[in-house]
Amino acid sequence: MHKPTPVAFETPKGWPKPPTEIFARNTLTQEGFLLGKKLFYDGLLSKDSITSCASCHQYFAAFSTFEHNFSHGINNRFTNRNAPGLFNLAWKTSYHWDGGVNHLEVQSLGPITDSNEMGETLENVLLKLRTNLPYPQLFKSAFGDTAISSQRLLKALAQFTGSLISANSKYDRVKNGKEKFNVYEQNGYEIFKTNCSICHSEPLFTNDKFSNNGSGLNKQGDVGRKRITGLSSDSLQFKVPSLRNIQLTPPYMHDGSIGYITKVINHYTTIDSSLPQLDPVLKTPIRLSDRNKAELLAFLFTLTDTSFTKNKKYAPEENIIFRH
Amino acid sequence: MRYKNCIGKKFQPMNKYATLYIVLLFAFCCPVQSQEIIDKKTVIHFVPIANGKPVQPDSIYQNAFGETYSVSKLKYYLSNFSIGSKVDAGIYLIDAFAADSVILQLPLNAKGILHFQLGVDSIYNCSGAQSGVLDPLNGMFWTWNTGYINFKLEGYSAFSSTNIKNIEYHIGGYAGENKTMRKIQLPYSLPKKTQDIYIQFNLDNFWKSSSAFKIAELPVITSPGKNAKIVADNFSALFSILPQ
Repeated sequence: MHKPTPVAFETPKGWPKPPTEIFARNTLTQEGFLLGKKLFYDGLLSKDSITSCASCHQYFAAFSTFEHNFSHGINNRFTNRNAPGLFNLAWKTSYHWDGGVNHLEVQSLGPITDSNEMGETLENVLLKLRTNLPYPQLFKSAFGDTAISSQRLLKALAQFTGSLISANSKYDRVKNGKEKFNVYEQNGYEIFKTNCSICHSEPLFTNDKFSNNGSGLNKQGDVGRKRITGLSSDSLQFKVPSLRNIQLTPPYMHDGSIGYITKVINHYTTIDSSLPQLDPVLKTPIRLSDRNKAELLAFLFTLTDTSFTKNKKYAPEENIIFRH
Repeated sequence: MRYKNCIGKKFQPMNKYATLYIVLLFAFCCPVQSQEIIDKKTVIHFVPIANGKPVQPDSIYQNAFGETYSVSKLKYYLSNFSIGSKVDAGIYLIDAFAADSVILQLPLNAKGILHFQLGVDSIYNCSGAQSGVLDPLNGMFWTWNTGYINFKLEGYSAFSSTNIKNIEYHIGGYAGENKTMRKIQLPYSLPKKTQDIYIQFNLDNFWKSSSAFKIAELPVITSPGKNAKIVADNFSALFSILPQ
């Protein structure tokens, strides 16, 4: 009998080991990864059979929705939050802006079934997969027989999304001694380390924690982390996003309310420190000159990893429909 | 009480009376433990009642506050069944309107204490995609706030303040002070020739036992938190042994 080919999950040089082994009960294999990739790009998983995971997580935008504050789901509906880029997910201990999901394998249940997103039932997804060639054969290649269960569907998707690793930006090449920052980038790096790295910690450029960054309550009435914990002290706290590939993932913040990186920087230099429940690290205003801001921007651009966004391993095998 | 005391002594430092304790432990505990096994399997039957009548879909019942309601769905997870030192590792999804019994791989004594837990252990709530009774297809899993719904009661009530006059209690939460799993123990005594234990599930106690709540005040609970905990605190009072 043909056995799936195991794939080693490698931690990039200089990075910490992932906090949990996301593939401990989901052996990463070539066949599982390829099945997960096909599922990720297949609109079959949605009610209208067009909207795929990739509709909102676009590979050329580091798997965020390029230049959309909210993404388009089925029936011309919109999501309530900005689609985050997908990379280095194995280093996260919780998922979604409010951290409501505790394991990568169960993350995709949300978007597949949410009426604003793919709007399909799990039953229908399985029914469609079972009756669409070549899925039974692909599940057999990945898991040993043609049975298609929710567990296998979710594990295959996690094999693809958990393998999306972005670790080859100019920043990484500088860290590995292969390139050098120019003077602006180097100055920007120093500014970053002094002002931003408490939350956007290297090398993942996020501490994976929750913070109230002064964005305030939006029109959606999104209270963030409080929705999960029920604690008023968690009101308006959102997951700190990674700054990797920030150049490719506009607009910014949990609701995409800021369109440009320069405006994001201005947000942090002009925060009203009297805001209730503002993250204590932001109570002391960040003061940057215009030159400092430009240097910080130059550094942030070194976090762009085009070898990730152009990697054929992650890109769709065939042309796919984007609805935007 | 004696059984409890024996357990308690085990955790105290050994002293010169240790041997005496051990002798006493054997003298008093072991006859109970080694009681005759009347069957290799234990079949548990659940008899859901409300107002002294069997619970049927869409029939009208009344809670202790005089509020009328009907039930359209009643499902819950039971796990960690044990009798004496024997444990059944299975997790069971009980549907009040489907099969009424579960077969446990537990040797049945004529007299003993049946232990079980309402709810799913935390490990299954945070280890990714599960299968079998824990498959999300069973509709007992939250996608937006990971975790199992340990107990689900849905229906209608004229006293509900929602638009469609429904009641919806999705009780879950696996961590911290708001966890909703509850350990239940039921002492029982059976006739000699049986493999069946009948457990009454009394919905009257859902609304009022250790913590009371009115439909008018809490018609819908669909997330972990203090309200879910209030309901969970009533779980153990739902179950009692039916004499045979």
